[in-house]
Amino acid sequence: MSHSTTPVRALSLLAAVGLMTLTGCGASASSGTGGDGGPVPGGTLVYLEHQAHDSLYPPSAGFYPNGGLVNNVTDRLVYQDPETLEFEPWIATEWEVNDDATEYTFTLRDDVTFSDGSPLDAEVVAKNFDLYGQGDQDRALIVSEAINNYGGSEVLDETTVRFHFDAPSPGFLQATSTINSGLLSEDTLDLSLEGFGPGNSTEVIGTGPFTITEEEIGTSLTLTAREDYAWAPPSRENQGRAHLDEVQVSVTPEDSVRVGSLIAGQAHFVRYVQAQDERQVEEAGFTVHAPQTNGVNNSLSLRLGNEILSELPVRQALVAGIDRQEVVDTIYTDHYPLATSTLSTTARGYADQSEHLEYDPERAEELLDEAGWELGSDGVREKDGTPLTLVVNEAAPQPRSFEALTLISQQLAGIGVDLRILAADAGTYAEAINDPDQVQIYHSMVGRADHDVIKSQYHSQNRNTLLNRDPGDDSVQDEELEELLEEVASAAEPEDRDEASAAVQAHLSEQAYVIPLFEEPQVYGTAPSVHGVAFESVARPSFHEVWLDE
Amino acid sequence: MNLTPSVGPSAAETAPASAPDRPSLWRRPLRLEISTLLSCLVILSVVAWALVPGFFTSASPVTGEAADALQEPSAQYWFGTDATGRDVFSRVVHGSVHSLSGALVAVTVGLVLGTLLGAVSGAVGGLVEDALMRVVDVLLAVPSLLLSLSVVIVLGFGTAQIAFAVGVASVAAFARLARSEVVRVRGTDYVEAAYASGGRFHTVLWRHVLPNSMTAVAALAALQFGTAILAISTLGFLGYGAPPPTPEWGLMIAEGRDYVATAWWLTTLPGLVVVAVVLAANRISASIARRGRA
Amino acid sequence: MSYVLRRVGQAVVVLLAAFTAAFVLLQAMPGDAVMIRFENPELGLSPEQIAALRATYGVDVPAHQQYAHTLLGFLSGDFGHSVQSGTAVRHLIAEALPGTLQLALLGFVTALVLATAVAFLSTYPRLAWIRGLLRSLPSLFVSVPVFWLGILLIQVFSFRLGLVPVINPGPVQGLVLPVLTLAVPISAPLAQILTRSIDEVYTQPFVTVVRAKGASRHWVLWRNVAKNALLPTLTMAGVLFGELIGGAVVTETVFGRAGIGRLTEQAVSNQDVAVLQAVVLLAATVFVLVNLVVDLLYPVLDPRLRNKSGASV
Repeated sequence: MSHSTTPVRALSLLAAVGLMTLTGCGASASSGTGGDGGPVPGGTLVYLEHQAHDSLYPPSAGFYPNGGLVNNVTDRLVYQDPETLEFEPWIATEWEVNDDATEYTFTLRDDVTFSDGSPLDAEVVAKNFDLYGQGDQDRALIVSEAINNYGGSEVLDETTVRFHFDAPSPGFLQATSTINSGLLSEDTLDLSLEGFGPGNSTEVIGTGPFTITEEEIGTSLTLTAREDYAWAPPSRENQGRAHLDEVQVSVTPEDSVRVGSLIAGQAHFVRYVQAQDERQVEEAGFTVHAPQTNGVNNSLSLRLGNEILSELPVRQALVAGIDRQEVVDTIYTDHYPLATSTLSTTARGYADQSEHLEYDPERAEELLDEAGWELGSDGVREKDGTPLTLVVNEAAPQPRSFEALTLISQQLAGIGVDLRILAADAGTYAEAINDPDQVQIYHSMVGRADHDVIKSQYHSQNRNTLLNRDPGDDSVQDEELEELLEEVASAAEPEDRDEASAAVQAHLSEQAYVIPLFEEPQVYGTAPSVHGVAFESVARPSFHEVWLDE
Repeated sequence: MNLTPSVGPSAAETAPASAPDRPSLWRRPLRLEISTLLSCLVILSVVAWALVPGFFTSASPVTGEAADALQEPSAQYWFGTDATGRDVFSRVVHGSVHSLSGALVAVTVGLVLGTLLGAVSGAVGGLVEDALMRVVDVLLAVPSLLLSLSVVIVLGFGTAQIAFAVGVASVAAFARLARSEVVRVRGTDYVEAAYASGGRFHTVLWRHVLPNSMTAVAALAALQFGTAILAISTLGFLGYGAPPPTPEWGLMIAEGRDYVATAWWLTTLPGLVVVAVVLAANRISASIARRGRA
Repeated sequence: MSYVLRRVGQAVVVLLAAFTAAFVLLQAMPGDAVMIRFENPELGLSPEQIAALRATYGVDVPAHQQYAHTLLGFLSGDFGHSVQSGTAVRHLIAEALPGTLQLALLGFVTALVLATAVAFLSTYPRLAWIRGLLRSLPSLFVSVPVFWLGILLIQVFSFRLGLVPVINPGPVQGLVLPVLTLAVPISAPLAQILTRSIDEVYTQPFVTVVRAKGASRHWVLWRNVAKNALLPTLTMAGVLFGELIGGAVVTETVFGRAGIGRLTEQAVSNQDVAVLQAVVLLAATVFVLVNLVVDLLYPVLDPRLRNKSGASV
């Protein structure tokens, strides 16, 4: 395996330490009540989810309600330390990567079993990645976004498996550590999309510390600890079964009900505490956890295919015309640090771009004046009769997207730009966000602790958030960006990937394609009786080490 | 959804059709007069808000001071401020035009389409009546919320579209009421007499049947006015509201609910305004219905 | 007998029309379920992968073929699968229905009780001094948005007073607040019917006569009120049942309960055609059945209508 050591590492470590103290504080502040302070076995944790899960197929686990379950039901080949982002053994005891990152060989533990009793061997691991790497169209099972250039698998012996790639795939090691690569049993892998869906969750079998034992579609799920679990990542404190007996996952869509239930003592652990509720939770003596998502920041992508935004000065004016600090101060809390690049400071490959992101409304007005956009009588600029009206989508999964965009549109009104928030049903929305003339500005983020994350967000064959490839005619506007992104996903050495990623970030800033807002955390609240709270590298909860003193 | 009550009172209004119409023993004209007057006053003030919002508030409903976000109600901000520092009172005042016109459109759609369906089937009878009443049955058979949501999705998000969607869901209630009223009036002695004295079908229908059927319909319309405001608000709660930053009442209540424990004024104060208006509309409806029976 | 047959025939026509209308409405919506589910940039699928998925789901088949396919499926008892979750619609409905039925029935019964109480109190002579207040209660009940009421009830009774938990409540506890939320707006029209019936009974000349003969006031009141109010109440029950599903959407969302309401709302927003068609058919069936029963009961209950046919208010 290869290690990366770059100046960036120091920064991400620094941020990670910050994160540790943040989560650590909460734990130590509340652990005083627990006798000798050691974990107390037993008990049922009540966990409140914001939305119902819609699939347990690991490549679909990016959706947080799915990911929270998959993370606790499945194990992965490799463990990525959420704080240092280093790779450690888990189900694979060791691994080897060839020089151009086209061959990965994993040696597996031989004592791991699935919760249905079947053993985990090289055969079933190969089958897992064959499905995640290639998908299955007949069953409508998609390819994992995290796996690039997958060629095929090769079982060398009972505990050794090798994966081949058609082109360098340096992100694969990290991909094996994500929830998108959660290992499932032989029978589970034969399920159709329906089999992974709600109503069949108890049939989804992994090797993880919990199994799903009960399900009520759309409202609740029970996770039960596996008594014989004994293959946690060696670096974790708890090497045996989970401390808890059960986790009861209840879907509670209303924000006020979720937070109210926590404070009223009806729940132990809630996901998605809104920024405005954080103070209420803390004042009641509860803990707010805000693990970072370590990927592409919460940001606005300017669609370059749109005629108005095809002009660089207009894009630069938008960057200069938004007071990002005010957005963060007004709408969010300290857990949402102001972004200084497209990538989070804790992401792999981060490079500071603050110089391109300064708030300067006068400069913004100058730029627009020079570009020929003149103030109309209604306060909105126009050019050749076209008003400077832009539409932005509300990013429903992102915290307080609506409020942030409302404030931004108030700020932009000050420089004569009319920013509207798209109000639409899901069908219209799905259509509009793929049309640069309907949604000119796209609000989104993506979390993944690998260099590849920037390619996922901007490459024309992935999320394509800039609509660099116009879905209408498949033409690509900025070929240079494509090449830079491909370099990130294909350079074999981590140092080269850092460099390639920095080049992408520089290009995005110089071209003013992206307005990064803040480094997005996932915010959770826990009761004082909850200890041992941990999260994976993109902030999904791990219940394995959680314990209750009640 | 909130269309429920609209259907109720419509049936309630028709109930006395088969019973003798006499004034209640305990009716106290004076007290009812006062509450009706008060109701008119409430409606008139919100109409004034809608017509000349600038007279009641100078603050902007769409831009605020970010530094003043989430301020409690005070002398400066009567209803407090929202998460981006906008004056909630100003939003309520400026929002009245959207909410009132929305409710008006909804009632008009229900009233016109429903009464047409009902009156024609009641007046013509026979096969036409059968066919039209089956259409009404279909409208009733599909849950009204589902109907409204689907119509909004098909027509797109906008104040007018949402109002239309809410109106469509009330067509059935108006149609049933109008039909039963027309049938009732047609059976009365004076209409029989009008026919007997050589009156032609259309003339009698226009001169005698319709005017006498319309009181109950008017009462339902007034009632629907309040109901429509609530129905629009429910659509907002489910994420099918007017496009931002329209300061529509229902949407304000729906958006403010997330702050119920931290900034109570965001949802409570616009909520109270809606309660006052809906109560007033119901009062007026009841008073129209009484006058019709007296 | 021919009357009954005719009514049944009409019911079938209404069912088919509702089914078709729902299909047309869904087709008219922009986009489709597969697009909503998979054409989401968050999934990071390439255009080729999306095209393949569209083919797998057969969404590009002409509408009339889809209609025929869906209708035949429904007739043979195959409701299809949800695009959003892949789960069989039959399974989704079976799981959601009991909760909603329970909520709706209890909600209706509670509304009746509440309405009776309000109607009785507001016509009770000794409470004449607050009659104005009592009589405006029904109006107040319908002027509060249901979601608002639900959230307020939770805040007060669960979070502040700690009387009933919202999370993992017992089977009875868990129903108290949702049932109340659902019942309050529905009780209003019922209360108005009852109040009016009571008022009318008092104005009837025979009441004085009967009372003069020594019958107690309550006996006279309830016998006649019940007779007077039964028909309008029954009629409303028919109409209200469909409405209860609408009320359930909001109540179930606020209280985080599983049920038909929430299923419906999610299916609309995801344009999950199969689920929606099934919900529409279910709601229409219930509506048609309840109304059929009400219509058939009408002549039995009201002698005046025995000679007419097909009376429906």
